[in-house]
Amino acid sequence: MIHTENLSKTYMMGDVEVQALRAVDLEIKDGEFIAIIGPSGSGKSTLLNLIGCLDTPTSGAVFIDGIDTGKLSENGLAEIRREKIGFIFQQFNLIHTLNALENVALPMFFAGVGRETRIKRADELLAKVGLGDRMYHKPSELSGGQQQRVAIARALSNDPEVVIGDEPTGNVDTETGNAIMGILKGLNRDGRTIIVVTHDAEIAAYAGRTKRMRDGRVLD
Amino acid sequence: MKDTFLLVYRNIRERKTRSILTMLGVVVGIAAVVAIMSISYGMQESITEQLSEMTDIIMVTPGSAELGSFGDFGSFTERDLKDVERISGVKEAAALMGEMQEVEYRGEKVMVEIVGIEPRDMDAVFGATVKLEEDGDSETSASGRELRDNDRKACQIGYSVANDYFNYEIGVNDRLTINGSKFRVIGVLEKQGGFRSNVDAQIYVTKRDAVTIFDTDDISTIFVRVRDIGEAEGIADEIEEQIDDNHKLDDFTSAMAMGGAIEELKSIFQILQVFLLAIASISLIVAAMGIMNTTLMSVMERTHEIGVMKAIGAKNRNILFLFLMEAGVVSGIGGVLGCIVGWGAAEVISFGIYTAFDVEIGVVMKLQVLLAGVAVAVLVGILSGLYPARKASKLSPVEAVRYE
Ligand SMILES: Nc1ncnc2c1ncn2[C@@H]1O[C@H](COP(=O)(O)OP(=O)(O)OP(=O)(O)O)[C@@H](O)[C@H]1O
Ligand SMILES: [Mg+2]
Repeated sequence: MIHTENLSKTYMMGDVEVQALRAVDLEIKDGEFIAIIGPSGSGKSTLLNLIGCLDTPTSGAVFIDGIDTGKLSENGLAEIRREKIGFIFQQFNLIHTLNALENVALPMFFAGVGRETRIKRADELLAKVGLGDRMYHKPSELSGGQQQRVAIARALSNDPEVVIGDEPTGNVDTETGNAIMGILKGLNRDGRTIIVVTHDAEIAAYAGRTKRMRDGRVLD
Repeated sequence: MKDTFLLVYRNIRERKTRSILTMLGVVVGIAAVVAIMSISYGMQESITEQLSEMTDIIMVTPGSAELGSFGDFGSFTERDLKDVERISGVKEAAALMGEMQEVEYRGEKVMVEIVGIEPRDMDAVFGATVKLEEDGDSETSASGRELRDNDRKACQIGYSVANDYFNYEIGVNDRLTINGSKFRVIGVLEKQGGFRSNVDAQIYVTKRDAVTIFDTDDISTIFVRVRDIGEAEGIADEIEEQIDDNHKLDDFTSAMAMGGAIEELKSIFQILQVFLLAIASISLIVAAMGIMNTTLMSVMERTHEIGVMKAIGAKNRNILFLFLMEAGVVSGIGGVLGCIVGWGAAEVISFGIYTAFDVEIGVVMKLQVLLAGVAVAVLVGILSGLYPARKASKLSPVEAVRYE
């Protein structure tokens, strides 16, 4: 389970304070599929980065499985990102020097998983997202939709409980977007918690619950 | 580990030109150090080998002291020789007579330095290092024999005299004409080169024959071997005083203790070695800056990628390790290539010195030098990579991911 308490993030733009997130209290239950929707600049990415332990809050706290992530060291946070969370980006963000299989295996590499297990599992994950025949392709040799599917496989690499997507369909056409949401829906059916940020009401419809954001606040 | 190498290799290959240029810096630095080390070890070895037998020698010449050459500053007498022999601490004293004379062989005339010496003194002068040339004369397995006291009109010739001075090669039992009289070659000396190359260019005859050829019994050099090298300097002073006294002249005699001169020579070479190494080290510093620059650029360019890696769970030390490896691998390969190039360069330099100065300086390639070369390269790489790699590892994941 994930919950935030009074979570706030303030950026300094020169002398001006930008309050990207204002005292957000949010609870996400295990196995839930939640969509966060809101206009540009409302703080969706900021919230997601904090939940995903990519960033640290100005005040307030994020609890993951009861652990106050604010009390963790950099290494502790890296371990949470590695083991408990799979992150999917709008820009796919694959490592362009590595092929699909190596990209998927990378989080396991950082986790110290043995080579054979890594390859076997990466192989299975790619097959699962329908890319069994593209394992040795470099990202530049794949379409946007295919890259995003590699990114999903990579997010699943260390079998995390939570998959987070920041506009995962933002850079693909509607049809591909639906396919990607279908995969995420499937992951949710397998018991994983899915948190997705989107502008698109149609995409949000895949989720079991939708939360709206505005001006750094989560609306009820 | 293997996969880290793979990752590192991909990154190096992606920036091939830059990696090669960086590597080149390391190659040059390490090659310079390796070449200098092996050449100077070669020098040290040849000095030690050629001169170690000479440390107990005092060379007494009239006027200025010049290794092995005969000056025209005057000459010594039999009395001088006897007086030198009497000085305590002197083990042996040998008189040498030397003059340039016209030598004829098969109608060809060349000026060659003729040295007159008592055959029994040969060992005192040469020690064990000057031998007869090992050669085809099957029965003796050496070219001829040593000079003997009762030899008349017989000579031993240096290697260059035998092989280079005349159009025809001279061998044992060939006849030469020295200043009008016929001499039989009874022995050919082994090639000396280096600090004893003067021996190669000389013809040795008995003192008695020399007196006849030169028409004088003046002694041009006295070779002294002392019992205790520690006393050599003192004995040299005594010799100078004694002979100056005999001739009633000041500064007429110069007696040089070779031991001191050799030590001096060695320390000069050591200073030279350190100096050259210092220069070579500058190229290593330049190489280090190259590595640092390349790694910094690599970190900058890959900021986004570092962010992504951190977002999917890389720890700071994973990132640190990746960049250190990258710097280490580039410089390590540079080090290996540098050793090879340095070795080649040393051989070329050695050959160059040989053709230019006829001095043989072997390339002494020590395993330690090669290993140290590679180790220094890797170390320089890792140390120069440390700052950029730490910088990379400390990047904040969000900011790095956001960076395009
Ligand atoms: N690194 C930063 N420095 C300064 N201001 C920032 C930074 N990141 C975000 N902000 C500001 O915080 C606010 C929230 O940004 P955020 O990226 O969370 O919005 P978003 O809801 O994800 O928008 P979009 O839909 O466009 O992605 C915005 O006003 C943004 O300008
Ligand atoms: Mg956003």
